[in-house]
Amino acid sequence: MALEIMEWIGYATIGYFIAMQVYMLFLAVVSAAALRRNHHLRRFGRVGEMLSSRTTPPVSIVIAAYNEAAGIVDAVRSMSIVRYPRFEIVVANDGSQDDTLQVVVDAFGLEEVRIPYRPDLDCAPIKAIYRGRSGVDITVIDKENGGRADALNAGINAARYPYVFCTDADVVLDPDCLVNSMQRVVEDRARTVGVGGNVRPINGSRVQLGHLIEASVPKRVVPRMQILEYIRNFLASRPGWSWMNAVPIVSGAFGIWKKSVIVEVGGLTKGHLGEDMDLTMRVHRHLLDKGVPYRIVYEPAAVLWTEVPDTLRVLRRQRIRWHRGLMRAVRDFRGMTFNPRYRQMGMVIWPGFVLFEYLAPIVEFIGWFVVPAAWFLGALNTTALVWLLLIALGMGLLNSLLALLLDESFGYFNSVADTSRLIAVAVIENFGLRQMTVLWRIRALLGGKETKAWGNMERRGVANLARQE
Amino acid sequence: MFPELLNQSAVILIFSVDAILLMALIALKVIHRRRMTSHEGRRKDYLGLLSRHISFENHTEPITEPIAEDPAFLDALIDMRNAITGDDTTLRRIVNHHGIIQRQMRYLDSSWLLGRRLRAAVALAELGDETSADMLIRHLDDREPEIRIQCARGLGRIRWTPAIDQIVSRFGREIPWVSTRFSDTLVGYGTRATWPLLAYIRINHRFETEGAVLALRTLAQIQDDEAVGPLLAILAETSDLEVQIATVYALGEVGSPQALTALDSLLDSGEWALRAKAAGALGGLGDAAAIPRLVISMRDENWWVRRSAAAAVAMLPGGTDALYRALDDDDPFAADAAAEALTDIGELVSARRRADEGSRTEPLLAHMRSEG
Repeated sequence: MALEIMEWIGYATIGYFIAMQVYMLFLAVVSAAALRRNHHLRRFGRVGEMLSSRTTPPVSIVIAAYNEAAGIVDAVRSMSIVRYPRFEIVVANDGSQDDTLQVVVDAFGLEEVRIPYRPDLDCAPIKAIYRGRSGVDITVIDKENGGRADALNAGINAARYPYVFCTDADVVLDPDCLVNSMQRVVEDRARTVGVGGNVRPINGSRVQLGHLIEASVPKRVVPRMQILEYIRNFLASRPGWSWMNAVPIVSGAFGIWKKSVIVEVGGLTKGHLGEDMDLTMRVHRHLLDKGVPYRIVYEPAAVLWTEVPDTLRVLRRQRIRWHRGLMRAVRDFRGMTFNPRYRQMGMVIWPGFVLFEYLAPIVEFIGWFVVPAAWFLGALNTTALVWLLLIALGMGLLNSLLALLLDESFGYFNSVADTSRLIAVAVIENFGLRQMTVLWRIRALLGGKETKAWGNMERRGVANLARQE
Repeated sequence: MFPELLNQSAVILIFSVDAILLMALIALKVIHRRRMTSHEGRRKDYLGLLSRHISFENHTEPITEPIAEDPAFLDALIDMRNAITGDDTTLRRIVNHHGIIQRQMRYLDSSWLLGRRLRAAVALAELGDETSADMLIRHLDDREPEIRIQCARGLGRIRWTPAIDQIVSRFGREIPWVSTRFSDTLVGYGTRATWPLLAYIRINHRFETEGAVLALRTLAQIQDDEAVGPLLAILAETSDLEVQIATVYALGEVGSPQALTALDSLLDSGEWALRAKAAGALGGLGDAAAIPRLVISMRDENWWVRRSAAAAVAMLPGGTDALYRALDDDDPFAADAAAEALTDIGELVSARRRADEGSRTEPLLAHMRSEG
């Protein structure tokens, strides 16, 4: 009897893994179809017309900055030259302990001004507002420390335009990222409330004066694995979600939102470790409850480059934090799971997220013990086990290769060596790296003080992200 | 438990697909990149060839049929067409001699490949040839939105007047992305589009609000004085708030003093959105006579109205002084609005600087001191 149970658990674990890969493959195929069409429109359509059109809606770029003195000026400079007819930059200095405020004030010749501040969203007290007269339309909100979400809320309060682009201070924007993403808003201004962009790791790439000169794959395995993960996630999943109008997460680094909708849902949740997913899901829930037609879309051609953890230590902390954020979201939005009231989000995407993101480490962790034990006790047929594991591995590889193929249409990695490195990591990630992330996520499930803090990622600043040559 | 044969087949199938994807990836990397590089190289060569034909009247270097059919040659033609500012007779001769327009019309009409149809539509829009006008009008109803946009662009490029009504009439039934781009095309037509747009608004403002609003926004960008009278008539006639707001916006953008009285009276409207838009439009008229009334609106109960009124004052001659005075207004909200408007035009910074130099007006000094 015990052996029979073990046999079933063993096969169920492998079956779960295969089901997960099938689900991912389904998303990848839908994404491929969506990207194919997108590719044609990008190639021959003229999104540039928006640049000269006076009907193009203005955007406020809102940056949360905490101890970003090393790179804030370059980041703002890189943002100030994006190709877009009308935008402003709002920097929310979240009580930085370093010279973040002073370096921005000095670099852009800002002065403290006395203008009204309208607190539509709750946030920590504002100390001062700075504005300047230089060519860059920049507002700096100096506030007491309250965390990233709190700082973004303060920035959104100060934003003057109807759309806010929430991002971080350690990113490099592609010059066309705003026009490409806002095109999705202009497509259907009445219904579009959110647009997510394509976030890509910048590690290993060449950056000069806040601009990406050449994208490249780093030699270190840790960031290389993350590049593959980001490509899989942003090109083989999100276009599919977007096609179904069920994007469960608009990335915190690249999210454009209709300001009025963010105000309606009360802004970002302070202290949430996954505040981007929380905001996206709250907007879905709010608008579906209200019965208002809406859409939240993802635009793969709108690209932003960011630094990802370079070491296992920092990566571990990040993954624990992400999983804690996911855990809270699963708890907060449990009412949406398998609830037909929330349509495709409630019936397909969110349950898929819970099943294959939240539960994945638990199932895989159980599998680590049960499958070898069952095999050792003779409950699992060796040949069948090998075949099933090969199926799982092959499908995982299929997803990765499909994602890399989709990435080719964007043409960021020019050399064959770069692609070969990514193909290699698609294979080797299954032997050690994946298991490590499972352990970290299990650690997140166990809780404790360590899992509840943001932690610091040693930022080098946008100007210093250049590849060491 | 699982049939072994099934497992084997599944593994073989999956790894075969893996291998195919891997090969596709390598092929894309090597062949496609090479092809793209070669395309760019040929395009540059063709640009040189076209330059020589245009520069030297009797140039005899042949443009063979394979060259004329090469997509890189089409791209070079478009580049050259956009680069030439004067006489383009030679280019037109080349285009006509090789049937470039006819070929692209054929692709647009009969190809089932989206990429090819889009390329054809872009080429026809960029090359702008009157022989394609009828087809472009026909494809304003194409199933593909981007093709509809390109067709309108093409018609706009050759200033095909009969197409104005065709484009305007689609405002109300198009998806927003396309109708907005149609609007951009009509702006390119200039004042020739004024009366068709006005006619459309007069007929449709009760039934197709979205279309009428877009038409009004288009008129706002054309900025034709002739539109003011009919716009005032529409404003008097309509009860739809959206249409009213768009009309007020258009009046402000056209900027004719004829609209002053009508806009002034709207500052007492019960709708804050209309009051705010009217305040903004008064700023656009450029008449300093509106300042006293706008200063009163800076005390409005709604902050957006106050802000719009202050921004409008800043746009008018003598408005900056009025805003400095308003900094000392008894109503703190009006003072705030003034401060915000001054900051937006960079004036508060200079005021502070002037305060440090002791050259500021007394009320302003008092205000700044009270603010600490």
